Amino acid sequence: MSTQRQATSASQTPHISPAELAYLYTSLSLPDGPIRPDGRSATQFRPLTAETDLLPGTNGSARVGFADGTQAIVGVKAEVERTVVGAGQQQAATASASGDGEGNDGEEGAPAAGHGSWVQMSIEIPGFRDDDALPVFLAEMMREPLVESVSSSAAAGDGDGEMEGGLKGRLVINRRWHWRLYIDVLLLSQPLSYPLPLLSLTTHLALLATKLPKLKSKGEEDPFFDDDWNAAEYLYPRVSSTTSSKLGAAPSPAQHVRPPVTLLVIAVGDNVIFDPNREEIAVADTVLAISVTRDGGADGGLKLLSIRTIDPPSRLTQPGVPNSENVATLGAAASNAGSEEQQQQQAVLNPVTGEEEVPGVWRPRRGGVKRRTVAQMVKLVLEKGGVGDEVLEGLEAVEVG
Amino acid sequence: MKSLRRDLSSNPQAQNVTSKIFVRSTKSGKVQKIVRELYLRQDIPCSSKLCVACPSVAPADANGNITPFVLSEQPAGTKAFPRGHYLVPDTNALLNGMDLFEHTGAFYDVIILQTVLEELRNQSLPLYNRLLALIKTDEKRFYLFFNEFRLETHVRRGPDESINDRNDRAVRAVAKWYMGHLQSTAKKGKKERSIPAIVVITDDKENLRKSKDENITALSLTDYVSGLEDSDRLLDMINESREAREAKGARGELFYPEYYTMSKLQTGLRAGTLHQGVFNVSPYNYLEGSVNVPAFDKPLLILGRDNSNRAISGDVVVIEVLPKDQWKTPSTKLVDEEAVTKNDNPDAEDNEAVVTERERKALQEEVKKAHGKNSEGRPQPTAKVVGVMKRNWRQYVGHVDSGSAGSQTSSSRRQQNVFVLPMDKRVPKIRLRTRQAADLMGQRILVTIDAWDRDSRYPTGHFIRSLGELETKGAETEALLLEYDVQYKPFPKAVLDCLPAEGHDWRVPESKEHIGWKGRRDLRDLLICSIDPPGCQDIDDALHARPLPNGNFEVGVHIADVSHFVKPNNAMDLEASQRGTTVYLVDKRIDMLPHLLGTDLCSLKPYVERYAFSVLWEMTPNAEVVSADFTKSVIRSREAFSYEKAQKRIDDPKQTDELTESMRTLLRFSKILRQKRMDAGALNLASPEVRIEADNDEVGDPLADVKTKAMLETNSLVEEFMLHANITVASKIYSTFSQTAMLRRHATPPPQNFEELINQLTKKRDMRLDVSSSRALADSLDRCVDEKNPFFNTLVRILATRCMTSAEYFCAGAHAESEFRHYGLASPIYTHFTSPIRRYADLLVHRQLASAIGYEGEDGRAVVEGVMTRNRLEDICRNINYRHRNAQFAGRASIEYYVGQALKARGEKMAADGVDGGIEEEGYVMRVFENGVVVFVPRFGIEGVVRLEDFVLPKDAALRTVAERRELVVRRQSDFDSEEYTLRVSNKGESDQEHGVTVELFQKVNVNVSSVKEEGGRGAGKRRVRILILGRGA
Repeated sequence: MSTQRQATSASQTPHISPAELAYLYTSLSLPDGPIRPDGRSATQFRPLTAETDLLPGTNGSARVGFADGTQAIVGVKAEVERTVVGAGQQQAATASASGDGEGNDGEEGAPAAGHGSWVQMSIEIPGFRDDDALPVFLAEMMREPLVESVSSSAAAGDGDGEMEGGLKGRLVINRRWHWRLYIDVLLLSQPLSYPLPLLSLTTHLALLATKLPKLKSKGEEDPFFDDDWNAAEYLYPRVSSTTSSKLGAAPSPAQHVRPPVTLLVIAVGDNVIFDPNREEIAVADTVLAISVTRDGGADGGLKLLSIRTIDPPSRLTQPGVPNSENVATLGAAASNAGSEEQQQQQAVLNPVTGEEEVPGVWRPRRGGVKRRTVAQMVKLVLEKGGVGDEVLEGLEAVEVG
Repeated sequence: MKSLRRDLSSNPQAQNVTSKIFVRSTKSGKVQKIVRELYLRQDIPCSSKLCVACPSVAPADANGNITPFVLSEQPAGTKAFPRGHYLVPDTNALLNGMDLFEHTGAFYDVIILQTVLEELRNQSLPLYNRLLALIKTDEKRFYLFFNEFRLETHVRRGPDESINDRNDRAVRAVAKWYMGHLQSTAKKGKKERSIPAIVVITDDKENLRKSKDENITALSLTDYVSGLEDSDRLLDMINESREAREAKGARGELFYPEYYTMSKLQTGLRAGTLHQGVFNVSPYNYLEGSVNVPAFDKPLLILGRDNSNRAISGDVVVIEVLPKDQWKTPSTKLVDEEAVTKNDNPDAEDNEAVVTERERKALQEEVKKAHGKNSEGRPQPTAKVVGVMKRNWRQYVGHVDSGSAGSQTSSSRRQQNVFVLPMDKRVPKIRLRTRQAADLMGQRILVTIDAWDRDSRYPTGHFIRSLGELETKGAETEALLLEYDVQYKPFPKAVLDCLPAEGHDWRVPESKEHIGWKGRRDLRDLLICSIDPPGCQDIDDALHARPLPNGNFEVGVHIADVSHFVKPNNAMDLEASQRGTTVYLVDKRIDMLPHLLGTDLCSLKPYVERYAFSVLWEMTPNAEVVSADFTKSVIRSREAFSYEKAQKRIDDPKQTDELTESMRTLLRFSKILRQKRMDAGALNLASPEVRIEADNDEVGDPLADVKTKAMLETNSLVEEFMLHANITVASKIYSTFSQTAMLRRHATPPPQNFEELINQLTKKRDMRLDVSSSRALADSLDRCVDEKNPFFNTLVRILATRCMTSAEYFCAGAHAESEFRHYGLASPIYTHFTSPIRRYADLLVHRQLASAIGYEGEDGRAVVEGVMTRNRLEDICRNINYRHRNAQFAGRASIEYYVGQALKARGEKMAADGVDGGIEEEGYVMRVFENGVVVFVPRFGIEGVVRLEDFVLPKDAALRTVAERRELVVRRQSDFDSEEYTLRVSNKGESDQEHGVTVELFQKVNVNVSSVKEEGGRGAGKRRVRILILGRGA
């Protein structure tokens, strides 16, 4: 039972008392801005260390460690594969279907469309089997924005949609060949908090560092590559700092395109809090995973890819018992129990407002989030110079190569 | 957080660890990033005998010995480097000048870097192998220095450095290190006098400049060679292509279409739109090539230079089929490069087109023909070459076309272009830049092709060495051997070391207790004899037959036990497997095994005891085999007969001794065996063979030595039993080694091969050829008889043989059992067992048979000696098939040459008497072309082309010299009927009824055969056999 809970909810419920939960909730939901246990501001991230290219045998790799000691390694391997022609459209719906097997190389067939199944992601978390719900769910949650990102611009029929498109578009070599990416994510430590942000950042960094051998053949020929690894090209073209500064040339839009990152955001009361730690998640009204990416737009703006709700662990916490119900303290108050009970019933039914709760008494959250709060989150992430920009720039600054 | 990344730059502890990263594309299409870690060391020696430091640190083997140092203490000096020098070539220097490095006159004490060797391997595998061979030999003192593994000389690639720049830097780093190293470690006292200079040889300008900046002596190959003695000759040996390309620069009219990119070729091949095959050129028409590809039954035609696009006979090419409207019939015309391109100038390239006007005309006529008729000459698919997968360029023997060398030359040492005409007519002429044009005139020379660029009509090459004067015996023989890739160098010492120490005194041990007798049966009391061609020294086989008490007979075939002397995998075995076969030339034999074994210890000489491998059958008087037995044995042959002597003895009724009786028994059996074989459908094939009995006495007619092979009964006696032994052994080894038995097969030829011949026979003689089975073919061949013309049958057999595929060795696992069939012999399984002295396959079969019968040998290892992996065996099969074929070609060419020489000698003798040369003979028309015919002269076993001018018409019967006849060309006209295979030749303006000559296929004609020397014009100095048609044969 407990394992299943771990697997489905955002993380293990920390063993803290209802009173502590209530205290934490109260301080996080203060209307003037939250007071976080570690003193961070609402949008501040925990410090992290990162490095890339530590696994020489991979096409790209990265390691990110949070200050709490959790760290993850991601390795990206690429393989050339023959495209199964005609299956693209059919399988688009069932993205999970694997696309290996020899297909006929018919003439008609989807041009450079790419296919979601070309990216395979596996996540390993200590203590979990690889078919447990958590790793599978996490993998899919990260893979989906990765392959589908900016599908809208491609669908709009832009000429350069291929380059702007999600990762799967970049994997097309020609009509008959493509790259297949294997992204192996390894969490090195126990999952102290919900590992999604860590894994997402690490994956992002690894993809930034990923290089593919330089293609020498042209057009529809069977692919043929340069054997010099130094000539290999980045999967996500880098803004070469030296050349751009020298020539002052504006980097092409394609160079802005970045793999998506998925951020974990919680709402506590009306407050929006980024990069929550375990305790903060435990009291959150809502936990959302927001995926954003930078597409090739001229302004280099961010694009929202997805928002997913994550089952908040707060609903599984033990409730606190208000004094009015506590037999030990309030045996005499049984007479006017009817009206109080009525009140508490309401409070439980409408947890987000919280006003009708008995202050200082913890009630497990029942989920649900106000539109206003969601809008606030999205705004914070997407606005220029907002959290999203900050994160991406931070990752960009990590030296690659 | 501590970084987990191994940082190679900052950590001094990690100085000796580095890695090498590259991308590898596998055949299956996988692309992998490969990371190799390198652990650098400091004990890799410099290998200079001057150095006192390295011997103490160099790694030692288990016995504590270090590899001997290579580089000399006193390397040779030149004018520029009087104190001696070590050479450090870079990759390009080796690519351009491998012949120089192999030259024995210079280029000693060379340091080959690992970097360079690896780069060379990527660029050219043949050169890489040649370099490895050079490093192995001791004389040249080439040292392979593993610079990438030595800490001081390892070079890390810079961030923006190209691989080439990095490798160049590695070369300089080594040069620098060597200089410093030798300075500091050279023996005391020597230091001042003679520290050799380290000279980097590179053709890269940037590298030269950087070397100069870094105070390293670096020279281009040309500059270095110019400073040597005999530089003119050496300079000629530098690869031409690169230099020429630079000189020409961007000026380039491009004559040939570009090849497709490798990836495009691969895509096409996989998709089946392009095809890969070996490019073959027709021996009659140098503009017509063909490529056999698996996708089609018939070879695809490749017509003209444009389509053959720089492919040279033997290259593995990729072709694209042309649209149907460009399909043509195969040419019916003789086109000889020498004749068509007579006036090409090797220097002038400006006005040259890829297809000259003359060539175009020659092709045009063909196309017209192809379009004109539809019934018989259906157009065949044609194709063009779009890429070359593998060049199979080798070294070519040829001579300088005297017409191509300008007149101004004689003494000047100026470099000039000349054409070299290769001996092999299928190879185009090669443009050569040389300073010694005058010296090379009239010499047989060895050249190699360097490149064939799009902007050059002919391939360019360079001179390697001269074999000697044209037509001298030594030069011509060597030319033959080189041309057919026969390994003719004397056996190296390592091989001779494998011979028994006793030499010629080796004897079969007397005591039967001796280990040599282990597992051997004593057959010394059997009446064994051998029958061979006269004068045969390497006697492989001997026979016996004796009656058994039960009325049956015991028949034995005894084969020289070569595998006793040649142990697997020693130097001698490897050499023999390389050579594959003994090559017989008219006046020379190039042995597969050293003389001592071939003609003495193994040879089953009469009157002495020899080890043998015997196959013994019990046969009923009707030659039915009751049982077969195999054993190692000791025999003593009673007599060595020649075919003739044996025949005489059998035929002589007075001889009634046991030996003769047993030979008679053998003969009787052989006839039965032969009949059985024929009934099973064995083919009686014919090849145009003559033999030369080279007991040259000066007085007689030189042509008297040329004899057609006489077939005696005794020939067939030996042959039948050998076949029988081979078949018996084949089944035996196959039953033991179902995957790795060494077998020989002759594939059933596809019926379309015979189409042309069937057509011709039907048209001309109303004869049918049934090719549905070998039996049917044998029977129908028997019916192809022309009473008036006894040779006709043989002629048809010769032609039929040419329609077949050639037999080949293979390893049992390579084919399904149904494919084992030997078509010609009509045997379901076959191998070669009976000539181990002269064929390597037989030696392998001996080992397999020994293993199959459980013979242990002296050391008990014989059982495992027969076992071999299939891969290795397939490699060996490939090689010996190739050697076998070449040996046959070389033998034939040798006879041809001898016949030519004999004709020449006769001609000279006759001329001295005041009579013009030439001998009249019978000939047969084998092929009819539009402008000539091919005539076969059985007396000499030669076939030759007869052009229009060589048809002697009544009016010009008196004209005989080459020059006179050449003038006739312009007046001649011909009328060719491709459906009737007739050619009518007459002079223009004359009524051809009276003066013309008509020849047709299979016709017997009277010919005059002589040897003539081309005089004047192109091809001067070349001797050829000329055949003149005098008229219809009787």
